[in-house]
Amino acid sequence: MDFTIGLTEGVAWPWPIAVYLFLAGISGGAVAVAICMNLFRGVHQDTPIMKAASLIGFVTIVLGMICLVLDLTNPLFFWRILVYYNPTSVMSIGVMALLFYIPLVFVLMLVSLRQEITSIGCLKWLDPTIGFLAKFRVALDWIVLILAIAICAYTGFLISALIRFPLINTAVLPALFVASGFSAGCAATKVLAAWLFGADRHGEDLHALHAAEWPIMAVEAMCLLMIIIALVSGNEAAKAAASAFCFGLWAQVFWIGAVGIGFIVPLVLSFFGSRNFRDSAAVFYTSGLAAICGMMCLRLFIIYAGQINSI
Amino acid sequence: MSLQIDRRKFLAGTTAGSLFVLTLGGCKPEDKGSPQAAKSGALGAKTGSGGTTARPHYAMVFDQNKCIGCGLCKTACNEANDLPKGRSRLLLERQSTHVPGTPCPQCGKLEGCDCERVYVRVSCQQCQDAPCVRVCPTGAAHVDSKTGIVTMDPDRCVGCKYCIAACPYNVRFINEKTKTAENCDFCLKTKLANGEEPACVQACRHGALYFGDLNDPQSIISRLLRVKDTVRIRPHLGTEPSLRYIPVTKEGV
Repeated sequence: MDFTIGLTEGVAWPWPIAVYLFLAGISGGAVAVAICMNLFRGVHQDTPIMKAASLIGFVTIVLGMICLVLDLTNPLFFWRILVYYNPTSVMSIGVMALLFYIPLVFVLMLVSLRQEITSIGCLKWLDPTIGFLAKFRVALDWIVLILAIAICAYTGFLISALIRFPLINTAVLPALFVASGFSAGCAATKVLAAWLFGADRHGEDLHALHAAEWPIMAVEAMCLLMIIIALVSGNEAAKAAASAFCFGLWAQVFWIGAVGIGFIVPLVLSFFGSRNFRDSAAVFYTSGLAAICGMMCLRLFIIYAGQINSI
Repeated sequence: MSLQIDRRKFLAGTTAGSLFVLTLGGCKPEDKGSPQAAKSGALGAKTGSGGTTARPHYAMVFDQNKCIGCGLCKTACNEANDLPKGRSRLLLERQSTHVPGTPCPQCGKLEGCDCERVYVRVSCQQCQDAPCVRVCPTGAAHVDSKTGIVTMDPDRCVGCKYCIAACPYNVRFINEKTKTAENCDFCLKTKLANGEEPACVQACRHGALYFGDLNDPQSIISRLLRVKDTVRIRPHLGTEPSLRYIPVTKEGV
């Protein structure tokens, strides 16, 4: 015996949650990649990459919080999640992590953008404060790195706990979210560092970042493949959920958006055509924005196709 | 010298760390000795559990053979729990036992016959291992400490809908009036609090619903389960639902 109807019609978590997952992934990914680059070199400098990443990290997570709060049934209830905690809830653990991550990313942004901030007349008075905070730079880098990875991963665990949806309820999802957060974070950092902070598009830094993108994208593709294989070779509900990759609007979002724009466009632009073409500014920005757009499509696909195909 | 500094650092670190862990002590939702829960013991006494200290295990049985789909249960639920118009914490799904392609024993049609319809109660399955309770970030969805019933504290609910997405039965919803999530809690705060049976059980004129304490061997539900075959919905999920169903049985030839 079974029933097919339910007390809630449609998806419980609509697009603002997908946008939040996207923004949190970019925030964590951008910050983690930039700090990793500094740590690997054994320096704690304010490179254009660090500046871009910390700015992206702070702005996207704040926008993400706005998405989350606006998606509550009554946004004025949001304080309750800050007062009451439940250690078995991934969301509650995420709130704890965010309570540390957001202020610390803000501090990282202040420290990284010290020059830019103090060059603005009315913000000059901040210089001594930022100077004081900058003393803790090494510890700050390490703590924010760990929190940034935790934020990326938690968004995956958050939804992989939903046992009603075979496409979402997979062990690989957190890994996929970390990988795609890193790749979109890389892309966003690259674009902003060149556009706003004058990073040399052919310089050492951006080349290193660019080189790091391919292995990350390979991991991302592998995670997706694992999810598809597990669904196809799974039980009845899993097989039904696998059809999400073949039919309907969300299959199009996946193949055109996540795969076509997110993977194939950057690949084609970076490996085909003349050297001049590949080194052009247009290709640089297009491939970066395509990777970001692809990640947004992937999150939308997971959220919608995942929730439509229930057990 | 260096050892001294290390030890000092170590002590400072562990102190800070334990302070952080101590604050986590506030995480667990405190047991609310709510008056409703205390009063609901009256029902346990009525069904004969006496003054036993063991927590009851309330369960419900839905007999598909008796339900005619009149919907009185839904109306009673709406009134008892003061729900918005047209809302109830349970639904009845109409199904057909007719196998397509075979002639219906009553009308003889091969397809599209509506003779052999049956109903299935769709409501909170009162899982012993409830995913909604596990994922709720504020502890609003919780197990009542006195009765063991999965219920809601609307004053804690943040409206994130995590419980709705996590429920493998899709039997939770947002109450449009209070903007908080809800589930069927056997009328814990309304009928059970007064020592009565749940509103739907009282309203059912066809005896399709039974309610009682499984831990009490003398309760009607325990005695019923000893003689009747019942099934649970999607037991493979491991959520250990407390709702049991007596599937429709076909008449002999």
